[in-house]
Amino acid sequence: MRNRIGVYICYCGSNISDYVDCEKVKDIAAETTDVILSKTTMFACSDSAQNEMIEDIKNQKLDAIVVASCSPKLHLNTFRNVAQRAGLNQYNYVQVNIREQCSWAHSNTPPQATEKAIKLVKAGIARAKQSQELTPMAIPSTNSVLVVGAGVAGMRAAIELAKMGTEVFIIEREYFVGGRAAQWNELFTTNETGREVVSRLYNTIMEANNITLFTGADIDSKTGSVGNFDVKLRIRPRHVKPDCKLDWGKFKKAVEVCPVEFDDPFNFGLTKQKAIYKNFPSEFPEIPTIDVEHCTKCGKCVDICDKIDLDQKEEMLNINVGAVLLTTGSSPYEPKTGEFGYKEIENVVTLQQLKRLIELNEYDLIFKGKKIKNIAYVYCVGSRQVDGENKYCSRYCCTSAIHTAIMVKEKYKTINNFHFTRGIRTYGKQEALYHKASKQGDIFLQSFEDSPTEVYKENGHTVVKIKDILTADKELEVNTDLVVLVTGMIPRKNDSINNILKVPIGRDKFYNEIHPKLRPVETVIDGVLIAGACQAPLNITESVKSSLSAAVKVNSLISKGKIELEPTLAQIDKLLCNWCDKCADVCPYSAIVKEVKNGKMFAVVHEANCKGCGMCLPVCPSNAIQLIGYTDIEIESMIEALID
Amino acid sequence: MAQINPDFGKVLKEYGALDFNACYNCGNCTAVCSLSDEENSFPRKMIRLSVLGLEDELESSVDPWLCYYCGECSSTCPQETDPGELMMTLRRYLTSKYDWTGLASKLYTSKVWEFGTIILLAAVILVLFIFFHGPMTTQLTADGGVKLNTFAPWKQIEIGDWIMAALLAFFLLSNIFNMYLKIVRSKKDIKIPFSLYFTELWALILHFFTQKQFSKCDTELTGKKYTLSTYWIIHLFLMTSYVIMLIMIMVFLPWFQTDNIYEWWHPQRLLGYYATIGLTVGIVYFIIERIKKTSEKSKHSHVTDWTFLVLLFLTTISGILVHFFRIYGLPYATYYMYVFHLMALFPMLMIEVPFSKWSHLAYRPFAIYFNNLLLAAVGSKK
Repeated sequence: MRNRIGVYICYCGSNISDYVDCEKVKDIAAETTDVILSKTTMFACSDSAQNEMIEDIKNQKLDAIVVASCSPKLHLNTFRNVAQRAGLNQYNYVQVNIREQCSWAHSNTPPQATEKAIKLVKAGIARAKQSQELTPMAIPSTNSVLVVGAGVAGMRAAIELAKMGTEVFIIEREYFVGGRAAQWNELFTTNETGREVVSRLYNTIMEANNITLFTGADIDSKTGSVGNFDVKLRIRPRHVKPDCKLDWGKFKKAVEVCPVEFDDPFNFGLTKQKAIYKNFPSEFPEIPTIDVEHCTKCGKCVDICDKIDLDQKEEMLNINVGAVLLTTGSSPYEPKTGEFGYKEIENVVTLQQLKRLIELNEYDLIFKGKKIKNIAYVYCVGSRQVDGENKYCSRYCCTSAIHTAIMVKEKYKTINNFHFTRGIRTYGKQEALYHKASKQGDIFLQSFEDSPTEVYKENGHTVVKIKDILTADKELEVNTDLVVLVTGMIPRKNDSINNILKVPIGRDKFYNEIHPKLRPVETVIDGVLIAGACQAPLNITESVKSSLSAAVKVNSLISKGKIELEPTLAQIDKLLCNWCDKCADVCPYSAIVKEVKNGKMFAVVHEANCKGCGMCLPVCPSNAIQLIGYTDIEIESMIEALID
Repeated sequence: MAQINPDFGKVLKEYGALDFNACYNCGNCTAVCSLSDEENSFPRKMIRLSVLGLEDELESSVDPWLCYYCGECSSTCPQETDPGELMMTLRRYLTSKYDWTGLASKLYTSKVWEFGTIILLAAVILVLFIFFHGPMTTQLTADGGVKLNTFAPWKQIEIGDWIMAALLAFFLLSNIFNMYLKIVRSKKDIKIPFSLYFTELWALILHFFTQKQFSKCDTELTGKKYTLSTYWIIHLFLMTSYVIMLIMIMVFLPWFQTDNIYEWWHPQRLLGYYATIGLTVGIVYFIIERIKKTSEKSKHSHVTDWTFLVLLFLTTISGILVHFFRIYGLPYATYYMYVFHLMALFPMLMIEVPFSKWSHLAYRPFAIYFNNLLLAAVGSKK
């Protein structure tokens, strides 16, 4: 029990004092037992006020303090530091929020605001009386990280982490690195190709001696917690020996003899591929691979190249890392059959297909044997959906479509581009591309979401129709040879990772960060961070920015050798617990495990995993769990003060 | 339902349009325009129709004629699309659309046609004079003037005058009728009561003689109701001079082309001086403007803008010289200058009045008249 308590009531300039009678609150607080001093202050957070508190604590030998001011989100740490500087344990400090909860919420009824403030302050004093001295815990951490996904974001983060001295394991589910960027030719605003960017990153990774890259690899399982994850990796066979020095002619021959043929995902189904493949000469790693799902193991390719080994087996590998960084990226939205004629009208493709088509057609743009003259781009497909689930804007598509339209015009000269938009969002420096497209004669039309663009067949023509708000809602139509659906981004399908790591997923299906502005690359799972387009639709520039920030965040978390944790965790009384499983069941962080000692089963809290959320407390039938810092005694004393 | 025609832009560029494709529909041009109002909102709408290539709608639009090219839109446009020049281009385009002979379109879009026609028409005059001119006497009249009417008797010239006047009237009026069909009759849902054609006629007369819309340019920015701009005054001076001259040579030729030398205060000389000074001042002013390119409306000169000014200049100067050579008794100089004067005047009138820029003098007031008819018919006229 604390019995020398100091209370400070903050005016917050006039934010609080305009509605709450701070002097009255102070006087009533002063009358409460064990309160040694009670003061008002203009700004409790100001330097002078902080110094005054420190003096008070020292001179009056206070053993707990209460500050009634703003939300603890804003100044909890400020006043904890005040307590520490005065030699008081920081957990003997209680913050009462009389700004958001009283003056702001009840500005139309000041007397009641004051009444509420008095009660909250009394409750705060009651809690301070029961408060205990606590020490933060520290757990050891390994300075190594697992980066999941070797796209541009993952590779860039890996390189930066390695430079800072962190051991990096980077895994890629596919057999080649680069993710989506490797599929793109020219990229917007730099005119570099996606491949150039990827090769540069790959070469840097190969030169670094503390990065290990695995392709064809997934996470099989994970145990442990921040600072000390044990991850089991499953590495699928490549069926081509690592010492293969690729001879392109020999490889071509092997491809020729392969009897298997299926839709090529690299070209989004525009072409066919064989079971043995490498999508382009400068794809990394240099050696080709065999698609096990489609391969019939006929052995014909083995006759040509002895480096092919169809008997390679899957391998498992255990690694120990301090943190996991997810850079799993995104996929293009796949339109539903019939959505703007997709898969029903023969000349409707996606923007991604068009990009591949441009690379495959050197002189004229030919699709299904027909020379293309008019292209209609239908925007916001799979983004900003009125009825569908994807309410978000995918951000990159306007710029990407316009950039592609410019490429089309530059490469094929006579093609007309028609853009059926819902408002162009070529934000920032990308606006220059919009200007360029307009100048080159592209026609932009715009509709609202309530009258979407229509694509249909009429007299053998594919017609795109819009109610154009830029032409006084006039209905306009274009006969087109190719309709390009400007599809947005969706996160990659990562079911197994999601099951294993339990990263929170937002309503938009992308991974959720803790705070979009202040903690943009951390998740609520300690030690699991996110970056790039797995978190939100981002272009390459933005993905790399987020991956670099995640790299720094990972390094600062694990490189010190130990990680400090808040002591406000769940604590289980082994004597009272009879292991009923209920607490473990509700714990969102898998922090409660069963232990058996001398034949008795009981629950134990894994401290590194526990976030102190308190979900386990109310379900415990024997009331064996206490949340440190929010014990029953503390909470009950607060309730008593409130109803007094 | 309308079909978009992206190739239309190329057509308009031949008529002089600049970078109108770059428009992103912000509408600043319309907001800053002093003449645009709720009923006739431009230039944004015209730019949009041009970008989309909706020719039918453009052809039935009256808006290009309601613009007097103050240039505020062009200096305000964030995309530098030059809306003012587009409106000018549309006036050229519409002039060629009203012209059923197709000649206007050829003259606007082909330099070969433009200069070929000028040379051909000048050659016609030259040939006529070579074969049919009267005696080139060096004998002077009693008061010392050249006997011009012996070399070119006014009776014969008048016959030519009348033929030319008939041709000009025929082409111009038929083009105006075509304009009427496109602007008024194409709007099938609007029925115009017959009486309106008379009650609204005042606008035609008022705007033809005053061109007062010029004075409303820039008023959106200055906040004044009218601006007494140099441009308007000079344009009015030029226009009245031109009309006086046209009436004098068409209707009063025997009185105008006389061998008598009147006193300086005689109306024949005073009117002649007013008209020639007005023409000279106007031409010089517009030539300087186009060379200096200081104002938006003189920044961009289509080849036809220059041929018009040059032909008008040659006609005026040669006319003045004929007058002075005659009264100072220089027979050969008078005769040769007279032939040259007609060689400049004939192509100038034949090309400019029905097929090119002079026709705007007629189209503009008619456009206001037609527009008022339509607005009055639907009851939205202010």
